[in-house]
Amino acid sequence: PLQPLRAKPVPKSSGASRRKTCEPEVPSSLIKKIFSHYVKMPVSRDAFKIVEKCSKRYFKQLSDDLEAYTNHAGRKTVEMADLEVLMRRQKLVTEKMPMHVLIERYLPLEYRKLLIPIAISGNKVIPCK
Amino acid sequence: RRNMRRTAPRSTLRKIIKNHKPQLRLAADVDLLVRKERDGCRVHLNFLLFLHRLAEEARTNAFENKSKIIKPEHAVAAAKVIKHFKY
Repeated sequence: PLQPLRAKPVPKSSGASRRKTCEPEVPSSLIKKIFSHYVKMPVSRDAFKIVEKCSKRYFKQLSDDLEAYTNHAGRKTVEMADLEVLMRRQKLVTEKMPMHVLIERYLPLEYRKLLIPIAISGNKVIPCK
Repeated sequence: RRNMRRTAPRSTLRKIIKNHKPQLRLAADVDLLVRKERDGCRVHLNFLLFLHRLAEEARTNAFENKSKIIKPEHAVAAAKVIKHFKY
């Protein structure tokens, strides 16, 4: 009675563990779509692989930076200000290119509504502070 | 090409950062749902801009090499240039 018990779990567990250990990442189809949208040129398949690899590295670097900023501020939580400082250092946000212009340019309307206060009629501001 | 998907994979972005830095919290309290979403899209915005930069660099490289398509070496060179800006 011992033998069948032993034989069973080996293939199953290996498959399941592999699934779990694979790390989360942005779907490659999305990266592909965004990249080809910006690049406006045909892109070879290998080049996409490079782009994916770069994105992975980018996220690693990003989390390192965010950690450094929040630790420096004595917090454990990443806040908006940290991201803004980061983007200033990346030279994405400058005097000529403030944050909200970038938001307006790159993010869809639903997100913009969350990020930028909009004045509506009746002297109300959304989102209220 | 015109109708690029614009929604952000928010939970994925969170998971990625969580994976790298388990102890780090993205501003999130249960009550501040907007806050939570805000940061999600900020990261997303940063990612979009990163891809944009990469795309522009790769395109310039391809033009310089008189190539009609983006080849891996163009992408690699572009990535190196952007690393120079800390990425």
